[in-house]
Amino acid sequence: MSDAKPSTVTLTIDGREVTVPRGTTLLKAAEALGTRVPHYCYHDGLSSPAMCRLCLVEVEGAPKPMPSCVTAAQDGQVVLTDEGRAREMREGVLEFYLVNHPLDCPICDQSGECKLQDYVHAEGRAHGRSREPKRVFGRDDFGGDVLFYGDRCVMCTRCVRFMNEVERDPRLTVVERGNRSVIDTFFDEGLDGTKWSGNIVDICPVGALVSKDFLFKQRAWDLDHTPSVCTGCSQGCNIALHTRDNLVQRVKPRTNLDVNAFWMCDHGRHDYEWMNQGERLEAPLAGRGSERIALGWQEALTRLAARLDEADGTSVRAVASPRSSNEDLAALRAMVDALGGGTIEFRLPMAADEDVLEGMPTLARRRELAPNHRGAELLGMKRVGDDSGAGGLDEAGAHEGILIVLGDALADQDTDFGAAADLFVMLGTHDAVAAANADFLLPISMHAEQEGTFTNRDGRIQRFWPGLQPPGAARPAWLILRALASHRGEATLPGTAAEAFAAVAEESGAFGDLDYPTVGTRGAVVPERAALAGD
Amino acid sequence: MAVQVKVVRRPEPGSTSYLRAALKGMALTFKHLVNPTSVTLKYPEEQPELSPRWRGTHRMEVHADGRPKCVACGLCPTVCPANCIRLVGGEDDQGNRYPIVYEIDEFRCIFCGMCQEVCPVEAIHVGRHFENGEYTRERFVYDLDRLMEQDHPTTLLWDPSDPRSE
Repeated sequence: MSDAKPSTVTLTIDGREVTVPRGTTLLKAAEALGTRVPHYCYHDGLSSPAMCRLCLVEVEGAPKPMPSCVTAAQDGQVVLTDEGRAREMREGVLEFYLVNHPLDCPICDQSGECKLQDYVHAEGRAHGRSREPKRVFGRDDFGGDVLFYGDRCVMCTRCVRFMNEVERDPRLTVVERGNRSVIDTFFDEGLDGTKWSGNIVDICPVGALVSKDFLFKQRAWDLDHTPSVCTGCSQGCNIALHTRDNLVQRVKPRTNLDVNAFWMCDHGRHDYEWMNQGERLEAPLAGRGSERIALGWQEALTRLAARLDEADGTSVRAVASPRSSNEDLAALRAMVDALGGGTIEFRLPMAADEDVLEGMPTLARRRELAPNHRGAELLGMKRVGDDSGAGGLDEAGAHEGILIVLGDALADQDTDFGAAADLFVMLGTHDAVAAANADFLLPISMHAEQEGTFTNRDGRIQRFWPGLQPPGAARPAWLILRALASHRGEATLPGTAAEAFAAVAEESGAFGDLDYPTVGTRGAVVPERAALAGD
Repeated sequence: MAVQVKVVRRPEPGSTSYLRAALKGMALTFKHLVNPTSVTLKYPEEQPELSPRWRGTHRMEVHADGRPKCVACGLCPTVCPANCIRLVGGEDDQGNRYPIVYEIDEFRCIFCGMCQEVCPVEAIHVGRHFENGEYTRERFVYDLDRLMEQDHPTTLLWDPSDPRSE
């Protein structure tokens, strides 16, 4: 009989009717209407304890206010979220939150992205009425990258629940009761050794948990946010680069329920300094050893095209990098094919184990420590070298003919590399010992400076956007390689990364019929058939 | 409307005397010589009286132990309409937030006083002061030490006995 119940319910929220699936909470139903009910303890990725008492709403007929994060919507309910009692209750709750809050926004790192600041500014009282002295905890080092400022805490317990439910490594708990209650660690063990605890800094709605790495570094409102993809491993977590002064200041996870939900690992979170590395190549360089001179792009590409025509017919070999974008790798593939075809190799460092997030088994720090090895495989490139990402280039280094290196820093190679090559072209971000024999050393931009896509281990193509300015005359590798191809009169020159991606469909179909709008901000999986054809 | 041209004839040389105008000017000069209701000051012996709303070059307040009062909150560079304040925050040896770099380019500054108004800890102030001459342009970028050394009075817009205007 209960099966006969309709699967949706219709209710009225703030005078507007909405139909939602049965079992939806009032908070989510309001969200469907675009009404954000303030809340601290509720988080989409965690359980709802209904303890912050901020999402209380008035339900007609109910004897007392209901917490909207746990109350299921029912047919014919009339809910008020923003008028009369609901608003009064929130004002009262917010005043209680400020009884012991130090109001140290000027020195708090959360300032500018703090929910307490936002809610009190929007709906709180202008002045507190409490005249009692505030309790003082000071600050506590929780281990790992996390600092705890107990005075700022609103006891939402999101951090405790994250460690219990998602990381499944209960390191945090609430000690004491009433207004003395505070978050603490067990036996000073702290968060040392945890691999995902950086997430509790993100989900803390106030400045109680802050990152040591970001401590006092920048103000939240000064940072530009650029959607990107983590380059730490082949999982391809969606991230946002927070940049200022043309430097990446920190990295935060970006919500994508299909890949990383709301989380990212601590490795990826702290692996951003390499994007700010100086001493970059800034101009195209031509000539070996003491003959090396800096050129403009026009001159460099003209000379290189002439040398390629000269060397036409000799065998081609290329070394790529699984840290390059699909567009870059595909442009290299097209270039090698146009020169008569040849082997393209890449090297891939591998970790010993995966670090799986217990509460979300589909999310892990994967063994493959590069973001795009799958894309390279789809384009028919072969992995060489060992698990430390070294070796395997003996043949390439001794190759006689045309040798192209894209993205690989050749850190483990010596000055003999490429000495025998007729023409050695290296596209890289930095000069290297092994680049001594390069006839052309061309500066490329790295992933934080260009638009492009990566293919993660599941064949999911995900876009990233440029957050930094490339140094000097550095350009995306796909633009350089495609410009070279058009210089030799073989192809039209794509003007944007989207066109460079579209060119792949024409050439090899390695990524099926996907295009940039389809991939969007959340990514799209390469169609099965195309993936098989690529293999 | 059609353009109209009016031709003004230049007086012939010798036909006009400028003596009358010259005498008129001299008369005014001599009038001021004997009747000095003037606005001229004998600067620098005499100093002008500055308006209560005068806003001059900045100074940074310091704690009793010599540390700057600034907590590097970043509000003054944010509010500054001329973008003349450069601030890099950091952590000092006691774990406090403090400015590692704090520079004001007094050439770019438009002396609006908003930095003082926005400061939550009453650290940065505009001064009641105008003698800022220097021999090089670089000297007009005041760094933190220079701002702390400034000993001219702060503007009357700020009352130290009632720092938050309550």
